[in-house]
Amino acid sequence: MNNILLVALREFRQITRMRSFWLTLLILPVAISIAPLTQRFMGESEADRVMIIDQDGGVAGREIAGRLRLEEDRRSLDALARYVQRHRIAAPATAPWARNDRYFTDAEVARFAAEGGATGALERLKPAIPADVPDFTPPEPRYELVTPPPALASLTGATLDQRLETLLRPASGSKADPLDAAIIIPAGFLRTGTAKFASSGRPNPQLVGTVQEVLTRSLRQGLLTQSGVPAPVATAVATVTPNLMIAQPAPGSGAREALLVRSILPLASCYLLMMALMLSGSWMLQGTIEERSNKLLETVLATISPEQLMYGKLLGTVAVGLTMIAVWIGCGVFAAFATQGAIADMIRPALAPLTSWTTILTMIYFFIAGYIAISVFFLAVGAISDSMNDAQGYLMPIILMILLPITILIQGVIAGGQGIGVTVMTWVPIWTPFAVLARLGTGIPAWEVFGSGLLLAAFVALQLLLLGRLYRASLLAQGQKPSLKELAARLRGRSPEAA
Amino acid sequence: MGETRLQTADALVLDRVTKKYGDFTAVDDLSFAVHTGEVFGFLGGNGAGKTTSLRMVLDIIRPTSGSISVLGRPPGRENAPFLGFLPEERGLYRTMSAIDTIVYFGRLKGMTPGDARTKGLALLDRFGLAANTKSTVGQLSKGMAQKVQLATAVVNSPQLLILDEPFSGLDPVNQGLLEDEIRRASDKGATVVFSTHVMQHAERLCDRLLLLARGAKKFEGTLDEARALLPARLFVTARSSLDGVPGVAECRPQDSPSDGWQDYAVTLQPGASAGDLLEHCSGNNIALRRFEERRASLHDVFLHMVGTEESAK
Repeated sequence: MNNILLVALREFRQITRMRSFWLTLLILPVAISIAPLTQRFMGESEADRVMIIDQDGGVAGREIAGRLRLEEDRRSLDALARYVQRHRIAAPATAPWARNDRYFTDAEVARFAAEGGATGALERLKPAIPADVPDFTPPEPRYELVTPPPALASLTGATLDQRLETLLRPASGSKADPLDAAIIIPAGFLRTGTAKFASSGRPNPQLVGTVQEVLTRSLRQGLLTQSGVPAPVATAVATVTPNLMIAQPAPGSGAREALLVRSILPLASCYLLMMALMLSGSWMLQGTIEERSNKLLETVLATISPEQLMYGKLLGTVAVGLTMIAVWIGCGVFAAFATQGAIADMIRPALAPLTSWTTILTMIYFFIAGYIAISVFFLAVGAISDSMNDAQGYLMPIILMILLPITILIQGVIAGGQGIGVTVMTWVPIWTPFAVLARLGTGIPAWEVFGSGLLLAAFVALQLLLLGRLYRASLLAQGQKPSLKELAARLRGRSPEAA
Repeated sequence: MGETRLQTADALVLDRVTKKYGDFTAVDDLSFAVHTGEVFGFLGGNGAGKTTSLRMVLDIIRPTSGSISVLGRPPGRENAPFLGFLPEERGLYRTMSAIDTIVYFGRLKGMTPGDARTKGLALLDRFGLAANTKSTVGQLSKGMAQKVQLATAVVNSPQLLILDEPFSGLDPVNQGLLEDEIRRASDKGATVVFSTHVMQHAERLCDRLLLLARGAKKFEGTLDEARALLPARLFVTARSSLDGVPGVAECRPQDSPSDGWQDYAVTLQPGASAGDLLEHCSGNNIALRRFEERRASLHDVFLHMVGTEESAK
């Protein structure tokens, strides 16, 4: 046992001294730490700078500006309502943000804005917000309204176009902030029904929609008034909207959302197993081939048996893999509980299964058994290969055989995990660890966990027996690629070297 | 570990050992014994079965039949603390430092980390590598790496030191260092077995030796006994051939005659002595300018016994 530990320790040290190990180890923490930045960069860009030039008395222009402010307030109100619901904060029942179950009416949004918007609401909420609840982050504004220079109000035609051009696309070297869009309401708009939307690039469809909606309302109201409809009625007709009740699950608790959140940890462990295996397996393979090509096997085998060498290598590789996974899980836990933001919000509920000891033990068992079961293939390839080129020839079909079905399996689990393919893969030992780990989130019967676990243990025992024979027979048999017949003889322990 | 020593008259005994690979017999009914404390040469050409025999001694491979006793015990890894082994094909972990390599192999042989480090540092110092203890093997020259490999073999002060073609690939300086190390180990009571096909090393170092050809033993004994296997050769300069002289089996002229004198290579009949021939010549007025007796070298014996086998392959 002592020699096995010595070999394992040497193997562990050799791998953990490799640059590629550290690069791989740091990938996940770096990814987690830059995820919020990525979100920011990948998410919506800065607010659109919008200028409204109303040459028709200012009514339509004010309405567009008011609508844009209203939409911004609606987004704040919506975000606040979700925040209150997600963190189960006791909110005053009469406050609009106390419920997250409908499309907020203009009146509710207006009331929200009148009461100080998100800032005012948070002031009122403050005493009810528990200490461990992260601060509310209001959504970034989508629009910035830019006041037009007075001179623009009187410009028309080509002169106005020329001036707008400089505002939308300033000359290179100019320090002026370019506009993203300019909305021009020309004199006589209510009569002609023609307005202009100038954009510095591809028009923002949401902004176009809002402008279109407001101007349509103005035109409709104008027409109704001109047709003799009393002004209050005309306004009511033009602005009437349904009170749309929206039934939606609490954040993270929708059927599909809940399934995904519940499956994050099992699926992540399945992915981690796959990643750690492929990486540490290839490092172990390199080490085994190095021992063969550097002709140091004879020196090693004079002091320890092939089986001790084999078990030591397996142990060292499993230790490397578990170290990587421990570091990654540690980073995940840190990200979940020591940071705020979307990543933390996603990881925290995903860690919920770890409150069950049965789940933890099941995950650890299938993780380690899976690690050994697949590492054995790498070790076997190392034992019969003289170079990495040789090894690639054997390894490619093995990797494809293991990984391709797993990608299909993961899709199957995300889709609900009830398909016959997922069940079949649970009972094929080389896929069992992945299938059971992935299915833990969607629910897997206990008898399947026990049964497939036992089958996996028997498979690993058989693998180790066969690998021991192959290892003893192959380690010193250099120079020729073994034929299938020779491989079979070695696995049966009938090769002369294995005698 | 080094304090415990296994007491046995013969450090190594092979009894009718055969190793077959399918139809090919690598070692054929081989029996010999290496006495404790002696330096034993294991001589044979390429493919004679030397490495296979040594691997069986180390339990790296198992014999098809026969038995082996190592320090009085069957072959196995439990003997590792008492053995040192330098394989013919050498190599080390390239990313490990020199001292870590020695400590690793020392620990695999049952040494404590402290003992292995102390001995390892002393060995590196003795081999002129004190400044390279922390250099990785990949950073060392080939000669330096060979010294580190030798240190891994002797770090545990082995009772039985097994060296497979230890001089191959070594420059003259390292060959001298290795010879010194073999003598040092022997002086400290270790038994040394080494295989070689360089006869000069065997002549200088071996107390006894074994000649192996095609897996079978051809000779086992001392150097003198080996040399006595071939008759001494005489080189004489005379005016006429010594053919027909009593005791002479063959008299072959060597170079062209000069001033009536001719060099001859004389082969004596079995049992005849050079002294008798000289006495006969002087008693019968056979003029001689030179009379030189040359005993067979180990190289001659090797060629005589193994060369024919090798050429027969």
